[in-house]
Amino acid sequence: MHRRLAVLVMMIFGANAAWAQSPAPLDQAEQIRILLERVQQLEKRVAELETKAPTTAAATESAVNVAAITKPAAAVAVPPPGPVQGHQHETAETQTSAGQMEVHYPSLQIRGFGDVNFSATDQKGTPSGFNLGQLDLHLASSLSRKVTYFGELTFNAQPTGYTVEVERSIIRYDYNDFFKLSFGRYHTPIGYWNTAFHHGAWLQTTISRPDMVRVGGTFIPVHFVGLLAEGNIPSGAAGLSYNVGVGNGRGSIISRPGDAGDNNNNRAWVANLYSRPAKLYGLQMGVSVYRDKITLPVVSPAGNEFREWISAAHIVWTKENPEFLAEFANVNHKNILTNASTNNQAYYVQVGYRLPWLEKTLKPYYRFEHTHTPFSEQVFTNQDLVGSIVGLRYDITNYASFKSEYRNTKRLPTDPRVNGAFFQTDFTF
Amino acid sequence: MNATSKRVVIFFCTILWAVVTLRSPSAAQTSRGADVAVVVNSDTPIADLSLSEVRKVLLGERQYWNSKLPVVLLIRAPAARERDVVLRVIYQMSEAQFKQYWVAKIFRAEAAAPPRIVYSNDMQFELLTALPGAIAFVDSRNMRPGVKVLRVDGHVPGDKDYPLR
Repeated sequence: MHRRLAVLVMMIFGANAAWAQSPAPLDQAEQIRILLERVQQLEKRVAELETKAPTTAAATESAVNVAAITKPAAAVAVPPPGPVQGHQHETAETQTSAGQMEVHYPSLQIRGFGDVNFSATDQKGTPSGFNLGQLDLHLASSLSRKVTYFGELTFNAQPTGYTVEVERSIIRYDYNDFFKLSFGRYHTPIGYWNTAFHHGAWLQTTISRPDMVRVGGTFIPVHFVGLLAEGNIPSGAAGLSYNVGVGNGRGSIISRPGDAGDNNNNRAWVANLYSRPAKLYGLQMGVSVYRDKITLPVVSPAGNEFREWISAAHIVWTKENPEFLAEFANVNHKNILTNASTNNQAYYVQVGYRLPWLEKTLKPYYRFEHTHTPFSEQVFTNQDLVGSIVGLRYDITNYASFKSEYRNTKRLPTDPRVNGAFFQTDFTF
Repeated sequence: MNATSKRVVIFFCTILWAVVTLRSPSAAQTSRGADVAVVVNSDTPIADLSLSEVRKVLLGERQYWNSKLPVVLLIRAPAARERDVVLRVIYQMSEAQFKQYWVAKIFRAEAAAPPRIVYSNDMQFELLTALPGAIAFVDSRNMRPGVKVLRVDGHVPGDKDYPLR
């Protein structure tokens, strides 16, 4: 027995020695750190020599020139070898260079998002197969120190070709942190999801958005055309912020805003108040209200005009260990002619957890969602839904992921449950 | 199991523990450096910030020192110790999460540009002095004149309770 144990111990030592011979990422990080320190020492030495030199004009050189001088020395330290090397072009930060020291306006930045999907369900009449998701281009451009333009365009696959949609087009003037005023087409600041993830599937944990904020859906008005004021509220540790907007509200097709003009003389307004407490970094909770007058294109004996009042609340924990998102919204419609009133409710709860293994690339998640529309509802068609999603997100790189989901959903009480498997690869570029 | 076997098992467990402990990343990463100072351009009208206020600035939730002076964020390139400290203590994010955070921030139209990356202390100090509103994170052993070091939670680098280390 002793001999066996001795052999086992020797094997462990052997394995340890073999492990030690393989290049460890930590050693390389340490080497990089040492190199950086060495570069800094050399830079300090150069600076000392320059100050001793008779021509001290360098001290008064413009920042542009100074940056240009320091760049070659810095370049020695930049390319991180080893495992980091594969991501050296992936940095999201602005690489400060001499050119960028000078402020040029406009300074356009473009980023894209895309996704490819596969789905298969047991719903009769629904074929399985691949589909191309939205190709999404995001534009951000500073027009001056305080004026910025943001745009978002999507290219959507249709049976007969592609459609192009202007999802957002916003010009914003920043007075300070407490008051920023913008004009254009927004994602309506109701709740959390609609303004947190927009159309970039890569940004969200799951493959799809919750049904209550589905793109093309009607439960809440996803888009809003008008003006919006936003900013922080001086509130100390409570970390309060607000959005207040006035706009056209829903158009004749209620899933769309009145891009080309309102269909009535009543403006919609929206207010959103949320808190990010300083002591609970990662927590956000908020409430939203939205008021509009809907004019349906078809006139019925009961009238075609309705008052809409949406109230919503959300609480989210944005860190990934765990991630927690929960939203609730109530949509009240009141017939102006008959005073008949209906309430539609929807909510979802989503949890996820970034696993500590495999360089934190795996994130399992679960979402439950529920939507209820009463039979007496006059504006919405029935949107009832009870559904669960279980899935796994795998981050292939810092900027691409692969997701797989199982969904179980049921619409009307008389409808059968639908089971489905969904797969998606999404990315930003 | 006799006494000798028990001793061998204990020896084996000790070896296993030592192997795991000595090879664990945490052991290799615990080498402590100097405090990381929060440094701003000398004209910035601020001298003291709480850690949560520093976090707000770095998260892009506070973008102006006052209505005339925007914040200019400077962050060291990956592998610099200052960056490690900022990501660990302030952002509480991994390198990947940090990158994704700023992609999302700009996509949400909450910021027009990500932080500027700087490759060396020299570049950092040049930018700090050249750019009004600039804020950077500097190893306190490498401080130079001409910039302002902020107190964080009332502490300066070197204090026992200074949070950025």
